[in-house]
Amino acid sequence: MIESLLISLQLALVTTAILLLIALPLAYLLAFKSFRGRTVLEVIVALPLVLPPTVLGYYVLLMIAPDSAVGRIWDSLFDSSLAFSFSGMVFASLIYSLPFAVQPMQQALRAIPKSWLEMAATQGLSLKQTLFQVMLPAARGGVLVAAALSFAHTMGEFGVVLMVGGSIPGETRVASIALFEFVEMQQASEAWMLALILLAVSFVMLSLVYTINRKSLSMVGGR
Amino acid sequence: MKGRIQLSTRLGSMDLKLEAGFSDEIIIVSGENGAGKTTLLRCLAGLENVEGQITFSGKVWLDSSAGFVLPSKNREIGCLWTDTALLPWLGVEKNIILGSAFEDSVWLEELAELLEITDLMQRKPVMLSTGEAQRVALARAIYRKPSALLLDEPFSAQAPAIRQRLRDVLKSIQTRLMIPVLMVSHDLEDAENLADQHWRMREGRLLKEIVDTGKNRMKQA
Repeated sequence: MIESLLISLQLALVTTAILLLIALPLAYLLAFKSFRGRTVLEVIVALPLVLPPTVLGYYVLLMIAPDSAVGRIWDSLFDSSLAFSFSGMVFASLIYSLPFAVQPMQQALRAIPKSWLEMAATQGLSLKQTLFQVMLPAARGGVLVAAALSFAHTMGEFGVVLMVGGSIPGETRVASIALFEFVEMQQASEAWMLALILLAVSFVMLSLVYTINRKSLSMVGGR
Repeated sequence: MKGRIQLSTRLGSMDLKLEAGFSDEIIIVSGENGAGKTTLLRCLAGLENVEGQITFSGKVWLDSSAGFVLPSKNREIGCLWTDTALLPWLGVEKNIILGSAFEDSVWLEELAELLEITDLMQRKPVMLSTGEAQRVALARAIYRKPSALLLDEPFSAQAPAIRQRLRDVLKSIQTRLMIPVLMVSHDLEDAENLADQHWRMREGRLLKEIVDTGKNRMKQA
C-alpha cells in the first residue's frame, strides 16, 4: 500500500512540476494572443476533460508503443520502452492533467486588470519583466490552483495509468489501481485505508484551491 | 517643434482627426467628456491601434502608412491615468521605481518630499487614500526621468489645499527635466497657472486656441 502511494505521490509531483512549465506558455498564448488554430488548440487542451480516460490511455499507448515514432526515439535515447513504464505514465499524465493546469492559469492571466499591463508597457518593462514582475505575481493564485488541481488529479488517475502503465508492482502500480485490486481481492481494511488517504488528499487540495481563489480575488480587487 | 501628431482614425464610436505640434512645454488638454482627451494621450502612449503619424525628438513613434508602430515600452514616457494601477503586492517605493533603468535614492527622496509621500514609502497601496495613491503614481511616472509626461487629470483626487503646491512641483520638474507635459484637466486653474499651450477638444477634433493663460501673461511681461 505504502509503495503504491509513494508511486502515486512521485507521479503527481513530477507531472505537476513539468505541467507548470508547459502550461504557462500555453495559458499565456490562450489568454492574450489571437492566432489561426486557436480554437483547435483550446479544444486539444480541453479534450481530456471529456474524453473517457480509457480512450485517452488507448491513444497514448498507441503513441508511445515501441514501434511508434515516439517509442523509437525514446528507445534510441534511453534504451528502454516508454510503454508500461513510470516515464510512460508521466507522459500520459501530462496529457490527462493538462487542462487542469492550463485553464486556471489562463483564467488568472485573463483576470489581470488591463491597466496593470498598460502600466507595465508605458513604464518600459520588457515582456520578460512584465511576465515576472507583473503577470506571475498577479496570477500566482491561478498558478497555485493549477498546481493543486494537477497534483490532486494525477493522484487520483486510474483509467489512463492502467492502460499506459499496467499494474507492475513497485513500478507502475499507483494507489488507485492498488485500491481496485484490494477490492477485487476483498482486502477490505487495506481498501478502506487507501480510499481514506486518497479522499483526504483530494479534500486538502480542494480546500487549498478554494482558499487561494478567495485570496486571489481580493488581491486583484485591491488598489 | 519637438513632437508632431497627425491622427486620422476611428476608435469605437469616436472619429479622431487632429494635427498638432509641441515643444518642451506644458500643454493642458481640456474638453467635455467623450471629446477624446484621454484617447489622445493613449494614442501618444501607444496604447491604441490608430491610423496616422507621430514623431517625437526625431524618432518615429507611429507611421501607419508604413505599418510602423513603436511599442509603448520603447517610447520612454511617463504616464498617469485615472486608474493609478499601483501593484498591490509591492510597497510604495517598489511601485515608484518599477521599470526604471536606474536606482537613485537621492532623486527618490527628493521626489517623495516634493509630492508629499515621504511617510508613505513603506506602505502597501491598499493602505493609501485615493489622493495619496495618485501622488505615488505621479512619482512613478516622473522617477524614471521620461522624455515626455502624459498625465490624465493628475490632481483630480487631491484636496484643494495641496493642488497649488502640486502645480508648482510639476512646473519645476518640467523645467528641470526639459520635457513636454501633456495634461488632461477639467480644472480651469490648471490651464491658468500651468499651460504654455491650451488645447481644447470637441468630438475628436482639436480646437487649438491661444488661451490667455496666466503663464503666458507672465512670459510676455
